[in-house]
Amino acid sequence: MSVSTAVFNLIALLLVVSAAMVAFSRNIIYSAFSLLGTFMGVAGIYIFLGADFVAAVQLLIYVGGILVLILFAVMLTHRITDVTITNRAAGRIPALIVVVGLVYMLIQTVRTTPWAAAKQVTFASTTATIGDAFLYDYLLPFELASLVLLAAMIGAVVLSRKEIKE
Amino acid sequence: MDVNLVPLLPAVQVLVTALVVTLRDLFIKDGESRGVLAFYSLVGLGLAAAEVFFLLGGRQEGAFNDSYMLDRFALFFALIFILAAALTILSAIDYVRQTGMREGEFYALILFATVGMIVMAAANDLMVFFLGLETMSIAVYVLTGMWRSNGRSSEAAMKYFLMGAFATGFLLYGIALIYGATGSTNLAQISAYLLDQPSEWPVYLIGGGFLLLIGFAFKVGAVPFHFWVPDVYEGAPTPVTGFMSVAVKAAAFAAWARILLYKLSPLDNDWVFPLWIIAIATMTLGNLLAITQHSIKRMLAYSSIAHAGYLLIPIVVGVEWGGLPLLFYLLAYSFMTLGAFAVLTSMTEGDESKDGYSDFAGLGFKRPFLALAMALFMLSLAGFPPLAGFTGKFYVFRSAVLSGHLNLAIIGVLNSLLSVIFYLRVIVAMYMEEGGAAGKSFRQAPFVYIAVAIALLGTIYLGILPADALDWSRRAFGSLE
Repeated sequence: MSVSTAVFNLIALLLVVSAAMVAFSRNIIYSAFSLLGTFMGVAGIYIFLGADFVAAVQLLIYVGGILVLILFAVMLTHRITDVTITNRAAGRIPALIVVVGLVYMLIQTVRTTPWAAAKQVTFASTTATIGDAFLYDYLLPFELASLVLLAAMIGAVVLSRKEIKE
Repeated sequence: MDVNLVPLLPAVQVLVTALVVTLRDLFIKDGESRGVLAFYSLVGLGLAAAEVFFLLGGRQEGAFNDSYMLDRFALFFALIFILAAALTILSAIDYVRQTGMREGEFYALILFATVGMIVMAAANDLMVFFLGLETMSIAVYVLTGMWRSNGRSSEAAMKYFLMGAFATGFLLYGIALIYGATGSTNLAQISAYLLDQPSEWPVYLIGGGFLLLIGFAFKVGAVPFHFWVPDVYEGAPTPVTGFMSVAVKAAAFAAWARILLYKLSPLDNDWVFPLWIIAIATMTLGNLLAITQHSIKRMLAYSSIAHAGYLLIPIVVGVEWGGLPLLFYLLAYSFMTLGAFAVLTSMTEGDESKDGYSDFAGLGFKRPFLALAMALFMLSLAGFPPLAGFTGKFYVFRSAVLSGHLNLAIIGVLNSLLSVIFYLRVIVAMYMEEGGAAGKSFRQAPFVYIAVAIALLGTIYLGILPADALDWSRRAFGSLE
């Protein structure tokens, strides 16, 4: 087993274990902290695929932003740890059907896809290519994304502003 | 790379109007009249409509590597969205002041939503479509919750946001799976892939198609995914409800028609049967539940579910027969529904919306014009000739019969009969009962009257002289080829 395979297995193990902890932990704070491992594991897989930019963004946004946001939300919410409701949804049977369907689909996909062995992954920087794509082929979605953000920002201000009473 | 910006013209026009309204709002002191903002919005929408007509005369072309196609189909829908936005703003002018909502942001968000819808209808790329959808959805979530002093409005916004976020998740997963299978988000390339390799599709391509379908069904409020509709429609400010039930629904159907009905049509066999069930369930449940309502606003919410069911008939019927009735029915539905909600808006007293059947009692004697208009909108929604709703339903059911879906047509007609019960109840209340709310006079709310008059003209015109609009719908759908 080469070093890279060993590292990959390690990352995969980290990912699966922490994902399981997110799902099965009864304490929501443990769940939130376990997300850290999941996000880091995903970033590791991106690095293995030679997607350096995506890996960096994954760390910046998910670990640096979203995870911190979740932790803040959990800790600032009063008595969330005392609540006896766990994150189990009411309808177990419908959930089971959906999960079985999804798992079937994924397994079928893995089985029937003609996997080609990856060519030697070249670890070249992808950032420049992504930047070019944003400004050439995907110029319109790139600009539209700023429109979505503008609408969301105005909306957030409207909804959270204190009403001035006359 | 040369960039062709001409097809973006109508969307950019509306966007610039939205920005101008937002910025101009900042320079008006508190307590001064903000009527000029509504005026700017209407002028901007008028210019956008003029540009649509200008582009209809010219050559329709794609832009940005064909990820944006402003063909006749997109222009047809752009006009519906502009019309809906303009009528919503007209009927909201007095309402917004009365309820103490922020005028500037209200108009600006309506315009932002309109930009998103135009982008959705013109999107020829799943990414562009998704961004248009999000622009629209976010603006409408906020509009729903804008009546801050009313708890129901905030509740509706929260429900709408959570359900909408779910629908977004389905759509995004669907898009990702389709991209994984076909290697492209561009609809032209996806459709080329489907035609190139018939029936050798991976399982997850079909899974992705179904996820898209579920996302769309959420957005139009089709039956297993309709639970949010009544609460959200009832809680939202009345003009916003009208905007949602017309423009948001039309935008979702536009994208549905272009993406699922047209570009992904090779996958048809997989979803015709589920769609058939959804269409029947949507019609029947919507009409049955509408009978039991006491509030006209809630009744119209269920009626809007039922109409989503009628609109699903042309989608089940397929590309060959379904295009013309789908587009024409959406046009007819826009006029009559916007009109009904405009009348409902005029019934608001102070910050209390008077939308029960008992509030409409005796309206025929107090406000003859409003009552007459409401009566005609109700008759049109029920499908009485010679109004727009009749012509629309006629072509929808005709397409079902011609394509061999006789059972769909029969169930549709039975449902129309069922719907007469609750639509006529409004008329009975207005003309045969007494008491109830007063409604606004022309002096109190002139703009609502203008909105009602425009909607009424459209409803009657499409009912009596549908030929032009039919021809236009046919050519619009034909331009998808």
